[in-house]
Amino acid sequence: MSSDVFAVPVFFICFRECIETSIIVAVLFSFLHQALGSDREAGIRKRLIRQVWFGIALGLFICLCIGGGMIGAFYSYGKDYFASAEFLWEGIFALVASVIITVMGAALLRVNKLQEKWRVKLERALTEKHWSGATFKDRCKRWLQQYFMFVVPFITVLREGIEAVVFIGGVSLSFPASAFPLPVITGLLAGALVGYIIYRGGNQTSLQIFLVISTCLLYLVAAGLCTRGVWYLENNTWNHLVGGETAEMGAGPGSYDIRQSVWHVNCCSPLKGGGGGWGIFNAILGWTNSATYGSVLSYNFYWLVVILWFVLMRYKENHGHFPLLGSSQNRPSNCDGPGPEIIECTGGMTISGENKAMNPMAPRLHTASV
Amino acid sequence: MAATLNYDWNVTWMTANPDGMMERPVIGINGQWPLPVLNFTRGDRVIAKVHNGLGNESTSIHWHGFYQNGTNEMDGPPHVTQCDIPPGATMVYNFTVDQTGTYWYHSHSRGQYPEGLRQALVITDPENPYAGQYDEELVLTLSDWYHDQFRYLLEGFISVTNPTGAEPVPNSALMNDTQDLMIPVEQGKTYLLRLANVGAFASQYFWIEGHTLRIVEVDGVWTDAAETDMIYITSAQRYSVLVTMKNETSQNYAMVGSMDTELFDSLPPTLNYNVTGWLVYNDQAEKSAPAELSSFNPYDDFNLRPVDGMECLPDADYTVTLNMKMDNLGDGANYAFFNNRTYVMPKVPTLYSVLTTGSAATDPAIYGTDSLAYVLEKNDVVDIILNNGDDGKHPFHLHGRNFQLIYRSPENAGHFDASNPPPFATVPMRRDTVTLEPLGNFVLRFRADNPGVWLFHCHIEWHMDSGLVAAFIEAPLDIQRSITIPDDHLQVCSTGGFMTAGNAAGNTEDLYDLTGENRAPPPLPEGFTPGGIVALVFSCIAAVLGMIFIVWYGMAPITTQIPTRRFSDPPEEVGE
Repeated sequence: MSSDVFAVPVFFICFRECIETSIIVAVLFSFLHQALGSDREAGIRKRLIRQVWFGIALGLFICLCIGGGMIGAFYSYGKDYFASAEFLWEGIFALVASVIITVMGAALLRVNKLQEKWRVKLERALTEKHWSGATFKDRCKRWLQQYFMFVVPFITVLREGIEAVVFIGGVSLSFPASAFPLPVITGLLAGALVGYIIYRGGNQTSLQIFLVISTCLLYLVAAGLCTRGVWYLENNTWNHLVGGETAEMGAGPGSYDIRQSVWHVNCCSPLKGGGGGWGIFNAILGWTNSATYGSVLSYNFYWLVVILWFVLMRYKENHGHFPLLGSSQNRPSNCDGPGPEIIECTGGMTISGENKAMNPMAPRLHTASV
Repeated sequence: MAATLNYDWNVTWMTANPDGMMERPVIGINGQWPLPVLNFTRGDRVIAKVHNGLGNESTSIHWHGFYQNGTNEMDGPPHVTQCDIPPGATMVYNFTVDQTGTYWYHSHSRGQYPEGLRQALVITDPENPYAGQYDEELVLTLSDWYHDQFRYLLEGFISVTNPTGAEPVPNSALMNDTQDLMIPVEQGKTYLLRLANVGAFASQYFWIEGHTLRIVEVDGVWTDAAETDMIYITSAQRYSVLVTMKNETSQNYAMVGSMDTELFDSLPPTLNYNVTGWLVYNDQAEKSAPAELSSFNPYDDFNLRPVDGMECLPDADYTVTLNMKMDNLGDGANYAFFNNRTYVMPKVPTLYSVLTTGSAATDPAIYGTDSLAYVLEKNDVVDIILNNGDDGKHPFHLHGRNFQLIYRSPENAGHFDASNPPPFATVPMRRDTVTLEPLGNFVLRFRADNPGVWLFHCHIEWHMDSGLVAAFIEAPLDIQRSITIPDDHLQVCSTGGFMTAGNAAGNTEDLYDLTGENRAPPPLPEGFTPGGIVALVFSCIAAVLGMIFIVWYGMAPITTQIPTRRFSDPPEEVGE
């Protein structure tokens, strides 16, 4: 049914990786437009923009090849291998996916930070001195500098793409191959759209709301994966106890371990007959018609951990360190310069407009690129 | 000339290896296993003194198919007509034999007879209608055989880890408690072959290559001779067949018992489900392996006609309809049910309850909630309609009599339609153990002229132990007038610490107060229990709370430390 054509975690993974990539690309484009904004520089700007696009295209192509190959190999060989202990692997992969999504999910809420970080990196890279030596290392560095606008998007796309492939591989066992194309494409499109909105400097508040909603969904999925992972592991144990016969019981008595059962309804199984609506319910929210102590506790515990983690992160953002860990390292008085400047912005995507003022190094790009 | 047959039995553990594959503990009598085949004659008095020398298990002896008219207390089933004989105790079975044919005796204690405490028993008929038509009698038992002790297998069978109720598959089949049995025969002679399936589970197809079987008796009832090549004999059934030998001795002939593998949940590749023996005409000639058959075509016992020509009894005065099914209870294990109840042995043997409850004995309520007690009135014609809600075959046995099988449906016929009944047999076949077809039904008819407590149960020991049992309490007030429990039986109860009076719970004051009675496990919880609802609500609250924190974090103004001089990374990198 629906979960056979749309794997929700895959969508989110693509979405996130694509956002990350598109932010970096957006930073690059903004940069080029700011630094080479005049008509006189139109030629070189065009050339550099072409470099960026070429880098993106090549990176995308390579990681699509890698991803396709991996998924192909997995479904032609791995599936058979894993099928014998399907519940065990589904359990492990669901838990791994849950951890992956959880760890990377929070970054969505701070994409503007990411943007800031990249701008800083870029500036640093462009302001480094020129290498004029003749050693191999120096020549490499010179080449890198010359094709900076190709290398950065290429590496970024490749890195994020491979990351996506690995993550998707991590969550893929739960889904048939048919469940991939749609979420991959829509995830990429959505990510690119967000990147574009960032680039255009659109309505920041609604973008932030959008990201918050996405993150909520992402964590719902991750919580579901966590509870499903535990459930699969428990079910694997149960299958071994009863000699692998639970499939023949459908959703009825004997398909679950009564000793572990918190609730069991004979309807609404996400596994039976493709799951139907319950399959989606299961994929997004971790619904099960047969809850166990383990699955219920892991679900609640997951949320507890997430809440604590967010509180800690917020604390660190405000105080510069985690509670009880001391703050000496980050105290302004200990720094060399005048100390870090605390700035506040509400979901601020600060590429266009004031960027020019904040970026005194930008004109150097001109010299660097000729 | 009635004789008194005295038996003094010490029932003990010993070891045996009947299939040559595994030495295992078996239960023998007086150091003998296979057990002795007993030979009675109609009119004999049997006095069997049974001493339990097992040390670790209770025991009992049931005389399968015996009418026990007036001696219900000698029938054998523990918690029904007696107390289980505890280790060290002795009980005397004392009754007269008022019937003829092929029978068997076996333990009726939980899961015990498949350990080997079972053997065939023949009652000679002084007025044998086939006398003179055969030269010799032979007794041939068929049985399935387990390598593991049944009581351990039983623990795994009725268990949360066996939710489908898959019965353990036997390890081999036996013929006269051995394999490759050689029976020397003489050419031209006719033998009366008395066949008994003394197995725990598997029915067997039986045939003899090159020879025709003429069925002349089923379960102690002489029938008109019926010719066939093959019979199907379920656990606890008996057949006598006349077999005439060939007039030449050049060849020996295989006879085969083949377990009905349709009963098995799985078919282990190593299992030899056949057991073979040979009619040996010529010891020098080859004993060739039997040919494989592509299909089985056994005789339908419904078509047999008793020699006495007894017609179908008049319409029933009382009808008991039993719907059977297999299902799981709250402990997760699989049980067998009649009318949504699974049988649990009462604390007080039902017969003892009958004798100690006065006029209340006619009320089935006092015999316990899960005792499936049905009270029958003296001399009523009773129909038992049994509807099989399970997709397996089941051999059903009624204690204390043989019954008329007046109707039996084919497979998958569903429930018996009492409002539009099919025509019943005019001269029905009678026996004491009959096959019920998968998802089919049958109708048994008998006259309640034998006061006593008689069990009706599936003779697959697994199902008997998972509760596929009902108890018919026939003419309870007549039982009270005619039966007294012997002192040695009561002594067995006190040795074992069993109660002997009152209702099923042993209450002698208020017979309708069943507090403390033995009960079946509770049913599986249906859907959401209060605990489940709390868990679901908590999970929802946790998710909502979690999202509130995400929103709180996500919408908070982002406070970032940006170093103005050093292009060091921000102090925190989330998700990178």
